[in-house]
Amino acid sequence: MQTTLNIKNLTKSFDQGKVKALDDVNFFVNKGDICAVVGESGSGKTTLIRLIAGLEELDSGEIHIENKLVASIKKNIAPEKRDVGMVFQEYALFPHLSVLENVVYGIKTSKAKKERALETLELVGLKGYEKRYPHELSGGQQQRVALARALAPKPSVLILDEPFSNLDAMMRYHLRNEVFNIIKKTGVTAIFVTHDTQDALAVADEILILQNGKLVQKDEASELYKKPQSIYVASLFGNTVQLNKGLQTAFKCPLKEDCCHAIRNENLTVNKDCDYVSEAEILKRTFLGTHSQLLLKLDNGEHLTVVTNEPVLGKTIKIGFNSKDVLAFDE
Amino acid sequence: MKITDRFYKFKRDLNKWSLFLVLIVAAVAIPILTVIFKLFDGPGESWTHIVNYVLLDYLVNSFVLSLLCSVFVIVFGVTTAWLVSRFEFPFRKQLEWLLILPLSVPAYIMAYSYAGIFGYSGLFSDAVGLLGIENFSIDFMNIYGLSFVLSISLFPYVYVSSRTFFLAQATNLLEASRMLGITEFKSFFKLILPLARPAIIAGLVLVLMEVLNDYGAASYYGVSTFTTGIFRSWFSLGEPETAIYLSAILLVLVFGLIIFEKWQRRHIKFTSAKSSKQQHNSRIKPTKRKQLVFSLICLLPVFIGFFLPVTQLLFWVSQTFTKVWSTDFIGITLQSFGIAFLTSLMTVLIALLLLFFSKWNKIGFLKTTSKLGVMGYAIPGTIIAIGVLIPSIYLDKWLIEQGITSKLILNATLIALVYAYVVRFLAVAYQPLESSSLKIDRSLSDSSKVLGKGNFKTFFKIEFPLIRAGLLSAFILVFIDILKELPLTLIMKPYNVNTLAVKAFEYASDEMVRSAALPSLLIILTALIPAIFLNKLLLKNANNS
Repeated sequence: MQTTLNIKNLTKSFDQGKVKALDDVNFFVNKGDICAVVGESGSGKTTLIRLIAGLEELDSGEIHIENKLVASIKKNIAPEKRDVGMVFQEYALFPHLSVLENVVYGIKTSKAKKERALETLELVGLKGYEKRYPHELSGGQQQRVALARALAPKPSVLILDEPFSNLDAMMRYHLRNEVFNIIKKTGVTAIFVTHDTQDALAVADEILILQNGKLVQKDEASELYKKPQSIYVASLFGNTVQLNKGLQTAFKCPLKEDCCHAIRNENLTVNKDCDYVSEAEILKRTFLGTHSQLLLKLDNGEHLTVVTNEPVLGKTIKIGFNSKDVLAFDE
Repeated sequence: MKITDRFYKFKRDLNKWSLFLVLIVAAVAIPILTVIFKLFDGPGESWTHIVNYVLLDYLVNSFVLSLLCSVFVIVFGVTTAWLVSRFEFPFRKQLEWLLILPLSVPAYIMAYSYAGIFGYSGLFSDAVGLLGIENFSIDFMNIYGLSFVLSISLFPYVYVSSRTFFLAQATNLLEASRMLGITEFKSFFKLILPLARPAIIAGLVLVLMEVLNDYGAASYYGVSTFTTGIFRSWFSLGEPETAIYLSAILLVLVFGLIIFEKWQRRHIKFTSAKSSKQQHNSRIKPTKRKQLVFSLICLLPVFIGFFLPVTQLLFWVSQTFTKVWSTDFIGITLQSFGIAFLTSLMTVLIALLLLFFSKWNKIGFLKTTSKLGVMGYAIPGTIIAIGVLIPSIYLDKWLIEQGITSKLILNATLIALVYAYVVRFLAVAYQPLESSSLKIDRSLSDSSKVLGKGNFKTFFKIEFPLIRAGLLSAFILVFIDILKELPLTLIMKPYNVNTLAVKAFEYASDEMVRSAALPSLLIILTALIPAIFLNKLLLKNANNS
């Protein structure tokens, strides 16, 4: 398969080397794939995409786009010559230009610019909005104009920086599927940054996890969920409970000493038969609508917080989990 | 990082903008470096005399002036800023911008006007005469009078900087403080004053720089300061070397001020300003009697800083108009405006280049050096003039020796004058441009570049249309500053060129202060129209955002 984007040993630091934003990052993205970059704030994800776009200069390593070297320590191709499209977090629509002018802006062909722009606007479902100005549009419409503007010049790689962070939950859900359907339709290789793992799980072919500037794992969504390589990765995809010595005694489940173990919150069962079970006293109940949160005191005095959607009556419950759900990491 | 890697990176990131940036910064630095390098030539003959007899005077006078002005501008500036931003009283809105007006009266014009008001048979003695006391006058032309005229024309700097702070930050803190049971008055001293200190001092430092820069007022009142000393050494004693030694001491004082200002701000973090609507609602409405007192307190500096001196000038103009108004005078006026117009265009253009070259340059340490490009505003005009004069003489000599030209083409020409103005006022143009370009989200120019447009196209299509308001205010501010500039113009102006400021100064120096009123009034009026216009523009922008 053809690779569109290839990153080798990419390193970048700020403040004369005091802050290391990216540390020896290596990966590639296949043509037509959608790749999500996930990490906490400060993990280096924004730096990574700015480097790919050419908006920052790298300290060492190489960036290749379509098998062409675009950045190294000796070479830095300007962003305007990189054939990269980008949808910015705040959309960055030019406030003094109309929707059509915004979309036409980046089209390089000398003729039929307007046709191409209209075609792209139709693709994102904004036909008829050409004459409007950005401030006359809703957040979702602005988002789609930004997408159309980035797609219009037919870039090799499309970068999306936190594309849904400005939208409320309902909007986000609708727009997410819509945007990625459009991207899939055009067949462009896309890389998008998010701190929301739901976004990544829903639409990405591959997910890349960054932690403190290091690439800690890169896998398909289901693999990443099933086999996280560290507790950090596991915790990005939902609440996890680390099985420390105290909990292991409470559940009577001796685990190997040389690795670290955890269990996902959703794999804890209430009042059901399973491999490891412990009696627990309910110290506090917090009602959260569809589910409730319980603060538990286990047999041996260990505390544990559990979220469940089972109706729980009485003062004590049985809490447990199955051995197949235990996650193990070398740490 | 390996040294070869550093070299490769440097080579990769070096572009033509970096070089242009260095050129601009170097051009601005030349006058200051000249003064520093000329120190090595040794002092002039009179230097020992100056050190023994007058240097202490200069130092003491500068110190006393700075101290008196500081007290005065803080009392007037902070009090009025506090009242208009915290309380509701009659004419508050009008007073809010009227308090800026004294800034349109240059210190030397204020000095002429007050000399007349307090002089023999002036307004003051006439007013006292009404009370039955005949021929009473106050000797105003001394260091105390000088402190007064400098302070009253400069206090708006402190007023503006503290008002900005009070409006942006004080309201919610004050509400919290009052909920904790502290009275408004106590909160002001316990909470607001310490918080506003950096803003107040920033305004104060601007005032002190202007105090050290002043030549016209000090020389008219016969007070010996560094600037008058520099003038005397150069033009009366004919000793440029001595002038340079005095300049160097003055430079040290100015840099001391800058360092002090930076140091006192070291722990300050900026917090975002709250919306202006909220603050309007939260103004306190005191009792009727207090309201009247507050109105009067705010009116006082406007009266003595603007209406009184302007009335004096109008009175003089009515006496001398037919004598002063002539074709010559119209010529001077046009010349003055023409020079200010062209130089302002140049200055704004260079400020724009400095701003964008430093953005386009990718070498980190050059970005910091670009800040040096705007240091000219801190340097007294007298020193810049000397720093430009000396190299221009050398360059002219060299050009004549090389046979390239047969006469002076730089020294005592408009080229040198305009160059000196640009160095001095670059910061005035740079600041509004910088702040309006900071308002443009970085992602706008980034996305333009990602969409295939280079630096230039991005500038013309995206950034330029969005900073137009900043360009306009930069131009107006520089225009006014050039129009009223005195010491630098006095030294640098070509023989056949004259400006309104110089004309006013010449009349005043030739014991014809009444005749100085017309050019003075023209300067004030010009400074006034944009002051009103800019205020409206700022209000409009504030409402839009």
